[in-house]
Amino acid sequence: MKKLMMGTEAAAIAAKLARVQVIAAYPITPQTTIVEELANMVSAEELEARFLTVESEHSAMASCIGASATGARVFTATSSHGLAFMHEMLHYAAGGRYPIVMVNANRALGPPWNVYCDHTDSLAQRDTGWLQYYCADAQDVLDSILIGYRVAEQALLPVMINMDAFYLTHTTEIVDIPEQKDVDEFLPPYRPDCKLDVDNPVTFGNVCGSDLYMSIKFQRHRDTFLASSLWAKMAEDFHSRFQRAHPPVEMYRTNDAEIVITSIGTCAGVVRVAVDRLRDNGLPVGGLRLSLVRPFPELGIAGIAPRVRHVIVIDRDVSSGAEGIIAQEMKANLWGKGRDILVHGFIAGIGGRDITPDMVIEIVSQSTRGQGKAVSVGNSQWVEVLP
Amino acid sequence: MPCTINNMAWNRTGSWRFLTPILQDKISPCRDACPAGIDISGFISEVGCKDYERAWQIIVEENPFPSVCGRVCGHPCEGACNRKEFDDPLVIHALERFVGDHGLAHELKVQIAKAHGSETIAVVGSGPAGLSCAYHLRRLGYTVEVFERSPLPGGMLGWGIPDYRLPPTVLGMEIERLRDMGIKIETNVSLDSHFLTDGLREFRAIFLALGAQKDLHLGIPGEDLKGVLSGLDFLRGVKGGNPPALGKRVILVGGGNTAIDVARTALRLGSAPTLIYRRTRTEMPAVPSEIEEALKEGVRIEFLTSPVVITRLTGQQLQLECVRNRLGELGPDGRRTPLPMGGSNFLIVADTIVVAIGEGIDSDPLIQSLKETEAGIKVDEWGGTQIPGVFAGGDLTAESRTVPHAIGSGKKVAIAIDAFVRGLDRNQAQSVSLGSQGSFSMSSWINPPSETHRSDQVVTYEDLNTSYFEHRPREKVPQLSEMGRRIGSFGEVNLGFGEKAAIEEAERCFHCGTCNLCQKCALFCPDASIYLNIKTKAIEVDLEHCKGCGICAYECPGHVIIMENIP
Amino acid sequence: MTQQMMESNLLTPGHLACAGCGAALAMRYALEALGPDTIIAMPAGCWSSFIGIYPYTCLSVPTISVAFATAAATASGIKAGLDIQGKGETTVLAWAGDGGTFDIGFQALSSVAERNDDIIYVCYDNEGYMNTGIQRSSATPQGTWTTTTPSLALKSQPKKNIVEILGAHNIPFAATATIGYPQDFISKLKKAKTIRGTRFIHVFASCPTGWRHDPQLSIEVARLAVTSRAFPLYEIIEGETWVLSSMPDKTTVDKYLDIQGRFKTMSLKSRGEFQRQVDRQWAKLKKKCGINS
Repeated sequence: MKKLMMGTEAAAIAAKLARVQVIAAYPITPQTTIVEELANMVSAEELEARFLTVESEHSAMASCIGASATGARVFTATSSHGLAFMHEMLHYAAGGRYPIVMVNANRALGPPWNVYCDHTDSLAQRDTGWLQYYCADAQDVLDSILIGYRVAEQALLPVMINMDAFYLTHTTEIVDIPEQKDVDEFLPPYRPDCKLDVDNPVTFGNVCGSDLYMSIKFQRHRDTFLASSLWAKMAEDFHSRFQRAHPPVEMYRTNDAEIVITSIGTCAGVVRVAVDRLRDNGLPVGGLRLSLVRPFPELGIAGIAPRVRHVIVIDRDVSSGAEGIIAQEMKANLWGKGRDILVHGFIAGIGGRDITPDMVIEIVSQSTRGQGKAVSVGNSQWVEVLP
Repeated sequence: MPCTINNMAWNRTGSWRFLTPILQDKISPCRDACPAGIDISGFISEVGCKDYERAWQIIVEENPFPSVCGRVCGHPCEGACNRKEFDDPLVIHALERFVGDHGLAHELKVQIAKAHGSETIAVVGSGPAGLSCAYHLRRLGYTVEVFERSPLPGGMLGWGIPDYRLPPTVLGMEIERLRDMGIKIETNVSLDSHFLTDGLREFRAIFLALGAQKDLHLGIPGEDLKGVLSGLDFLRGVKGGNPPALGKRVILVGGGNTAIDVARTALRLGSAPTLIYRRTRTEMPAVPSEIEEALKEGVRIEFLTSPVVITRLTGQQLQLECVRNRLGELGPDGRRTPLPMGGSNFLIVADTIVVAIGEGIDSDPLIQSLKETEAGIKVDEWGGTQIPGVFAGGDLTAESRTVPHAIGSGKKVAIAIDAFVRGLDRNQAQSVSLGSQGSFSMSSWINPPSETHRSDQVVTYEDLNTSYFEHRPREKVPQLSEMGRRIGSFGEVNLGFGEKAAIEEAERCFHCGTCNLCQKCALFCPDASIYLNIKTKAIEVDLEHCKGCGICAYECPGHVIIMENIP
Repeated sequence: MTQQMMESNLLTPGHLACAGCGAALAMRYALEALGPDTIIAMPAGCWSSFIGIYPYTCLSVPTISVAFATAAATASGIKAGLDIQGKGETTVLAWAGDGGTFDIGFQALSSVAERNDDIIYVCYDNEGYMNTGIQRSSATPQGTWTTTTPSLALKSQPKKNIVEILGAHNIPFAATATIGYPQDFISKLKKAKTIRGTRFIHVFASCPTGWRHDPQLSIEVARLAVTSRAFPLYEIIEGETWVLSSMPDKTTVDKYLDIQGRFKTMSLKSRGEFQRQVDRQWAKLKKKCGINS
């Protein structure tokens, strides 16, 4: 059934379709609509779940972990400072192998206060062991949550579904809502073998010696690493049922591209518009949208864009003092692949500053000409800043 | 998810400790003070659990006469009871009487232990020492014959203690129990010194328990005048149904139990007795409660008074010249010496004067060949005389002449005779000695406990942990309180505990040195390493895990657990 | 008496607690009262360090070792998860030390109490951050030595009154208890088990290592805390009815202070102040319990 809705509503509907059993969430702009919608659904008994109105995001994640440990399917949502507050517990959730799915609205971190779109919040959590997925649109939000549960519960790893603040949380799109019975077939109930159970009393998470700790961490790393192909597999299954694709990586006109513009989130839509215009002018350029950032998908760049010489990365984030995080990740991924590829890192759209097709075209121009209006600091070039 | 697969028991935290808890029964001060060696804490524990039969069995392991002792013993146990530092000492004698009377009412039977031998032993004298020895020998499996000079058995118990303290029926039933065990008691039998040689052909050993039945003399002029009686003779006469005519004014000289018994008896015969004693009330050797009762009943006592001369006043009346004393330095027996004060002499008129200043042994032909000391017949520490196979005990040999001492003495000699017959080293008997009064444990002789099971340490009040007890005064023992009724007859004055009072009183016992499975140790162990083993019904320490913190030892109310450095 | 004093064996030996540990004892009593149908959320602290080394544990009930601040929040989540799966009868026990309750875990606890979530929260109080080496917490009494309040700068603030604070949340049941009187603690927990909503028990747990006393005195110290009124035993029902648990006869604080090395450097003036504080709090408590002395 198709309906007009905001990305946040789509997220709430996805949680309902996934039949989540425990929700523990704390409000923060611009995620608040998610928890409001879910509160409505639970109170109207459209969703049979326990809703804990916790007093902070740290407690929200703690409660989710507690509930997940008993074998319940749990859901929460946050953004920016809330995500940062949860940081300790993000490590805990991943280390404890709890298949929690959380929606994060990518929002700038203060000071100064800024509620608009920025990816630094979630990217700064990339070491926690959570799988991270970045949505393109509201449909992507709904679908990826369902795929996320499937992946999470098989890999026993938590999944963060990221959506751009305001671009996805507060703009309205047409979203196709799948039937509950079809979702049930795609996503069976969560039935873990190992849980808090008085009939099989065990202790989770007690002190561990260095030897076993390292092996436990190794296993987790390996499982996280393999989650990329797991996601691809589950997305395949989803595609066969619902005819919508949500692969780890989405390519646009890259077959013959010599220049590939990489981005995550809604920015990729703007990139496509710019690519078309540049192509009209004869430039062999293509776009690459990363949906999965953790694990960073194996790009197989030789297959994606066999002729690429320049990879331009537009980061809506920065690792302060270093460079754009996606740029770093791309470089790491391309290193030693035997290809002579130049990576150009641009920082744009921080704090919700709009990214326009003209801006993207200017970025491409600066990359090829080697000079332009973007200000360089080390490896990153900052678009439209006061020097 | 990283989750656990098993518990931590493999981790031997016992390796952490440098002190180990050791459970070891110790001697309670009451048992230490008891010349008969009764397991007082043990029997009181069973009273608390309402298992009176078990309580009775515990007492008669050591003492055959609980109903008697509960009435007449001077209860040194109560003077030693640690609870006196907390509030009041336990009324142990009333508890013993309660249990003894239960035994009589339910005709409980004594268990004969495994037969050690089938020889026959002769016992001469059926007082508490003789009967105690006969009883213990019989329990050890021997055949025993008791020879008694007088018409009735019981010795001092029979003719020397008035009915209002010890009803004859009670004594009779306790002695009857011995006959039921198969002990032969022959009365009206006199033996001479040939018995000591001839007897050893018929009997494997002989125990002499003739007692000390002769009153000591004052050693003052006029002592042999008519109307001056010996205390023991007086009591004997009363018991035999022939009370001497006392007249109204009766003077008693003495301060021991006999003197008090005579005074209260005289009261019941219609006289107005006055007792004169050379020191003060504190030094009187009589049982303090007896003195208390005597005063309540109306006996007058003149302290710090000594007799000087007795003269005939008129036909039937006597005159006693007395002198007042003051107390001087401490004498050899630990009491201050009475010193007559010159010029304080005064006269008293009396119809009868009774002398009860102590007993000595008779010059009986049976024992004339045996050596004597000041205390009596000379014996070694095991009661052995110079003739092998001939033993002596009780008042005949001892300085301490009380009922519990006699009972303890008889028991000790029974052990010595058992060792003698079986050819054992008598020093083996030392391992079953108890406390500081020279008593022995028959239950340990029959069933030797393990090496580490019991220590000889006597538990003091400071050793205890009294946190678990609330202050509560001792239960009152009911008495005939109406004085008229009391002194108008020889009916029993103390009426004994009812069941409810007995249980309440039993619950006040600290059980010093005895594990009564209160399980405070188990309750307070942070490592669950000390607990009650249901099968063995004993507290066990898990040495693999015990960290040696010492909480169990500190919290043990009775000081049973101590921490030791064990490599 | 031929029955075992403690019926349950849900705590097995071999754990790594110090000899004489009051917190270990507190857990024994708690499990005795609550039984095997219990799940424990245990934040960082002494207990999560000595429970056992992976993959072994000394507890025979399901336990999750969680982040320091999250005892109450995790317990709340566990309860919600059980409830939605139809296992709402299982007792969920948050088991935290004073650090994880009075300080870092306070926010989450207040939130759970305000929502009246259906958990039992027990704070085992050894009056300091003992696991990390004896640092002060807001549960440390005034005048106490710790490594962060050394002799020249003993803790100046009085102990936070956590039970009163929880009482002010109007939860159905809040109480103090102590390892010194285990039957009282066990009966309070058994009572708590029959109530729905947030139930909070503050249990005094002696610490030989941090308080500098002989391990064998762990119970004696706990007893003296009660008899001296430094740690009175009481309950707050529904935030409004205050009930004094039966208290033994009173002693002064002298024996209590003398027996512990952590009070050794208290000046005479501080000792006097300590006694005055104790007397003041006791008077206030009696008044709240409706007792006129």
